[in-house]
Amino acid sequence: MTKTDDTKLIERCISGDRKAFETLLVQYEKPVFNAAFRMLNSADDASDVTQTVFLKVFENFDHFDPSRRFFSWIYRITLNESINWLGKSNRLEPLKHEAVDEGRTIEQEVDSANLSAGVQEALMSIKTDYRAVIVLKHFLGCSYVEISQILEIPEKKVKSRLFSARQQLKDALTRTGVH
Amino acid sequence: MAIERKYTELINADIDGELSAAENAELQAYLAQNDEAQALHRELSSLSSTLEAAEPLDPPSHLRHAIMGSLPPIRTKAESPGFLQTLFATPALTYAATFAAGVFLTLSLVNSGQLSNQAFDDVTGLVGTVADPINADLESSVAVDEPKIAGKVSLRSAGSMLILDFDLVAVDPIEIEADYDDRIVWFNGFAQLESDGTVISADAGRVMVRMDGKRRYAVYLQNEDGRDTSVSLRFMAEGKVVHEASLDYAPAR
Repeated sequence: MTKTDDTKLIERCISGDRKAFETLLVQYEKPVFNAAFRMLNSADDASDVTQTVFLKVFENFDHFDPSRRFFSWIYRITLNESINWLGKSNRLEPLKHEAVDEGRTIEQEVDSANLSAGVQEALMSIKTDYRAVIVLKHFLGCSYVEISQILEIPEKKVKSRLFSARQQLKDALTRTGVH
Repeated sequence: MAIERKYTELINADIDGELSAAENAELQAYLAQNDEAQALHRELSSLSSTLEAAEPLDPPSHLRHAIMGSLPPIRTKAESPGFLQTLFATPALTYAATFAAGVFLTLSLVNSGQLSNQAFDDVTGLVGTVADPINADLESSVAVDEPKIAGKVSLRSAGSMLILDFDLVAVDPIEIEADYDDRIVWFNGFAQLESDGTVISADAGRVMVRMDGKRRYAVYLQNEDGRDTSVSLRFMAEGKVVHEASLDYAPAR
């Protein structure tokens, strides 16, 4: 979705158009849920955080800076809410999501689930700051500039943080036997 | 041969798809003569592939409905907080206000026996404002995914208060019974958080709710001594039980 599309939808949301909000929800529900899931390692917690994120967005449209991209705003809220949630719950839960994609063999499902679980276990073993940059880069496909805007840190710091995060993640994946 | 810092950065940038054509050419020339750099490039490429192979998950099917159903009324103009909101924004008054509202509701119960949302018109917003279930501590939750009803019911705690947070979508009218041990907890209030139309009645040890459509509402229970307890839920459509669940509360010792 382009910046113009998002901006138009946000203008409609501010004027009270719930359909416009639903369009934004359809567009961003999955990435927000997945980012929260990768940060929290629990589908239930990710659902709660996703709901909180969209409520905050709905209630704070008048604080949105239209010179910035909507996704950087909503992803920032997502990461902040996830980190707050981690702080509140202070727990690491095992992977619980059991979605099955029809049309795939059981072996493919098992391989995919093992890979996803292994990646998740490795992610949960690295620092929250590092996990956030990995989620933004590899699960949300953000560029350095976008990560810099979302986390409000210099681009140079994004690069160094990604580098360190990858080193730790690589070691953790080796320990889990995924990589 | 060690890898110069500049080329470590270029390798990472290449993995991230952030190299210019000139930088790419420079990196390729460097890789051709440095085995360690090649090894690092391979390792990071492989790591990136592993991460990208972890497929995104689909959010629960009811989540979108739950979010749309939980949106507050749209404000068409900037509103300044009312006196009560300002008053109850003070944390110390929160529980006092909830208790007062609970006393009022309990008195209403005694008088009416059978409660409907009309009976709460003056106070449900107040209870919802001062004891927002979203911000209370989550104790346990159950997902409901039946043809007639889907969503989630959570048990949250805030001080000596337990909050049953119903976030549901029902195709047809549904009745929900919540049974609890009235020697430990007692009914203390009801708030419709985003929508009205939900009807509640209460008796000793039991709350009965009737709803349809997208609804989010909270039932407040008082657990004065903070004891272990549980709430049994039965979801009924057309007089038949379609789902049963239980929510537990065990305070941290």
